[in-house]
Amino acid sequence: MKKQCYFSQHNIKHIDYKDTEILRKFLNPHGRLISRKRSGISAKYQRQLAMAVKRARFMGLLPYVAK
Amino acid sequence: MQENIRDDRQKVYEVGYLIAGVPEEQVAAEADKVRTLITEAGATVIAEEAPHHEQLAYAISKKTVSGSYDKYEVASFGWIKFEVGSDKIEALKKAIEVVPSVLRLLLITTTSENTYLGKRAPVMAAAFVKQSSSNQGTVAEDSAAKKEVAPAAPATIEEMDKSIDNMVKEA
Repeated sequence: MKKQCYFSQHNIKHIDYKDTEILRKFLNPHGRLISRKRSGISAKYQRQLAMAVKRARFMGLLPYVAK
Repeated sequence: MQENIRDDRQKVYEVGYLIAGVPEEQVAAEADKVRTLITEAGATVIAEEAPHHEQLAYAISKKTVSGSYDKYEVASFGWIKFEVGSDKIEALKKAIEVVPSVLRLLLITTTSENTYLGKRAPVMAAAFVKQSSSNQGTVAEDSAAKKEVAPAAPATIEEMDKSIDNMVKEA
């Protein structure tokens, strides 16, 4: 079954770095970003997500490395 | 000529900042300093959130006047979204950076429409855990969510099991 893009489904047009609850769902236990292949996110939103995660890390809202 | 037009263009920016090293009562006053700097630059504030206490994901250090470094594990995070001419933004960024209580500053270009989900985010994230578990998708944090891996077209009994699991989780 083909995976659906989470952001397209929920009609989220812009990914905000402050929404750490959502960003955390796309990180593995080490704090690294999950690949598109596993998460099913479209390329457009994967780019936005990567940027948002990096911004959240810079602001100390998300870890660079965990565990 | 074209350069001048580009300089005067109004753009939407967002400043996120961490305030640390001041007592809890003074955080609001420090945030007000940042806000004043923005409004004095002729910006129109679109949206903002007052600083709130935040446990940082890692310790952030900042150089003190004496030359030593202070490490902060907690800080107050706030943000302001505003519209200002792109020619003024560089000076504004430098002005905010030199505020002593500002531990870290992030300036980004954004859109005037609301991008922050805020309180809706945890609900949507919870929905994603359910969805991802049924699709065998991402690594979810909840180990309980990992257990409920269902096929594409779930049978009635499995659906019932799922709803029971959800009820247990919510309780």
